[in-house]
Amino acid sequence: MSTVKIPIGPQHPALKEPINVTIEVEGEQVVDGKVRIGYNHRGIEKACELRTYVRDIYLLERVCGICSHSHTTTFTQGVEELLDEDVPRRGLYIRTIVCELERLHSHMLWFGVAGHEIGFDTLLHYSWRDRELILDLLEMISGNRVNYAMNTIGGVRRDISKDMIPTLKKGMDTFRERCEYYLKLCSEEPTVLERTQGVGVLPTHMARKLGAVGPTVRASGVDMDCRKDDPCAAYDEVPFEVCTWDSCDVFARVAVRILEMIQSCNMIQWMLDHLPKDEIRLKLKRRVPEGEVLSRYEAPRGELIHYIKSNGTDTPERVKVRTPTLANWPSVEYMLKGCYIADVPIIVASIDPCISCTDRITFVDVEKEKTWMWDSNQLRRYGIEFYKKKRW
Amino acid sequence: MSRKRPKLKPSLKEDEKLKAELEKAFGETVKVWIPRAKRMFIKVKPGDHRKVIQWMRDNWDLQHVTSVTGVDKGDTFEIVYNLYKYQGYRTYPNVKTEIPKKDPKIETIVDILPSADFYEREVHDLLGIVFENHPNLERLILPDDWPEGVYPLRKDWLPEGVE
Amino acid sequence: MAVLDKLVNWSRVKSPWVFHMNCGGCNACDIEVIAALMPRYDIERFGMLLVGSPRHADVMIGTGTVTRQIAPRFKRLYEQMPEPKFVMAVGNCAISGGVFAGCYNVLKGLDKVVPVDIYVPGCPPKPEAIIDGVAKLLAKLQGG
Repeated sequence: MSTVKIPIGPQHPALKEPINVTIEVEGEQVVDGKVRIGYNHRGIEKACELRTYVRDIYLLERVCGICSHSHTTTFTQGVEELLDEDVPRRGLYIRTIVCELERLHSHMLWFGVAGHEIGFDTLLHYSWRDRELILDLLEMISGNRVNYAMNTIGGVRRDISKDMIPTLKKGMDTFRERCEYYLKLCSEEPTVLERTQGVGVLPTHMARKLGAVGPTVRASGVDMDCRKDDPCAAYDEVPFEVCTWDSCDVFARVAVRILEMIQSCNMIQWMLDHLPKDEIRLKLKRRVPEGEVLSRYEAPRGELIHYIKSNGTDTPERVKVRTPTLANWPSVEYMLKGCYIADVPIIVASIDPCISCTDRITFVDVEKEKTWMWDSNQLRRYGIEFYKKKRW
Repeated sequence: MSRKRPKLKPSLKEDEKLKAELEKAFGETVKVWIPRAKRMFIKVKPGDHRKVIQWMRDNWDLQHVTSVTGVDKGDTFEIVYNLYKYQGYRTYPNVKTEIPKKDPKIETIVDILPSADFYEREVHDLLGIVFENHPNLERLILPDDWPEGVYPLRKDWLPEGVE
Repeated sequence: MAVLDKLVNWSRVKSPWVFHMNCGGCNACDIEVIAALMPRYDIERFGMLLVGSPRHADVMIGTGTVTRQIAPRFKRLYEQMPEPKFVMAVGNCAISGGVFAGCYNVLKGLDKVVPVDIYVPGCPPKPEAIIDGVAKLLAKLQGG
């Protein structure tokens, strides 16, 4: 059978982000997949070296709009370690509460996008409506729905007042109920099961070898979670469990994320009950002594690291950002081998690609010397039609 | 009221044990220091990094490369391999080595740890360091029409309009 | 023919078809654009529809920082749109480069590539601001 490479144009399935993946196909099955990234490259690491630490917080927050708080958390805790100062406990708790709220909104966003990929648009609308609840809570605490600007070097900038706490707790109860409903839905609804079970299998040994992180690797049975392995902020005091699943397919990734959402709801309620009475920030000096630090944090998509090198002035020498999506791309290339074309959108979406961290997927036609462009919408519709025909 | 976290936590003993193992295997060729619990820095000469990483893979079952970082230090490039030891006591060893700027070449570790692939390509793209024997050292994140030989992360290169 | 023109303009104003292109930013503006479609704000009830191809669109929404790689592609998509066409720049990065102005690889705004009709500032602008921007654009359309 001749192999054919298909280009998929510069529009990511639901978020319309530029992605470029090259896929070689034989009939309906994919033989190989290659990823081309770089369309979102903005030169942030260089810009960090030319600005002061405080301006860098503002810049790094905008690396990614969905996991903005993760970047600032990792950066500020790295600089705090270089300055050898400890943030007051209340500041750490508030930082962690916003971290978990961000995890909730990010996973719910992904859940809607995954539903959109498999043609379940109702799920997209339901889950994004539930996500608005979390955004309201974040707006109440920080003043903005996205890019909360809560972190600063030495702690957090805003406090959680007493009258916010009952609203937050009630919000968590509602949200947890919704998550339990979604878990039940996904385990029983035949369309969801058909499109996710057995699709995009990443065996445990390959997940470890290819360096996968986050829910992708936890769905392959590996209990790798920075919050437990290398606790930062308040994670060494908050009780929680690392959620794993053994089936190594797309369904496992859905299940891991929903279970994590339920865990986060519990964690936030625990932290609100045990919020220490303390300061929220320390005023720290601007010049950072020479040194280097590796700051790690479990962002919603996986392990995020910032390697910061300082040189005694108020601008950093080097800031290196390694985002979790970059770590997961080799796993995508592996998972694409042997799947159907119809499964490509959900497999790519299952690692929760944050394309501001990576980008572009194109299919290239090789054997027939024919190239045709499909944009992400066409590919997604193709997948839905393919599975509809399969059922009859 | 800040609360200083004690640096000497119980797990620092585990880090010291690992440091002792490394020093026993490699003696004077490695310089190991532990700034805090769960962070180990190992300084080696450019040719020795493969031996140390291979030893870690064989003895500690270390498979996960978190990142590869390149730093421009003026006359030299410093390359830091940020690794993650998952089996047993979980810690983060970092292997550092320095190469001259005039001849920025170093051997790849992709055959030992395949997850280093994309990170080495990124360092090559942005700093111009050549990883010898890398199977596929092509452009990763810079655009296709970016001029050859221009490496944005080098200290002597500034974006236009910046003084 | 004047009657036909009026009819076409009325339908364009009452139900603009929108094409959304992310130029390479941080996605915050994109999620706010998509949040405007979701049940909380639901602009689809006003007739505004998100289409998948520029050939069917009246209005093109550009969000995010315009990187050098995206600029020629964006221009190509703009040329594929049928006349009359309108462009809306959403977010600080699409207006002037935003936080990333001065970085290599980043152009200082969408209007360096295509002519822009409406600017919606914010980092990111709330869905209410985006809807307000569209409403102002429609008012402009209705005017002539």
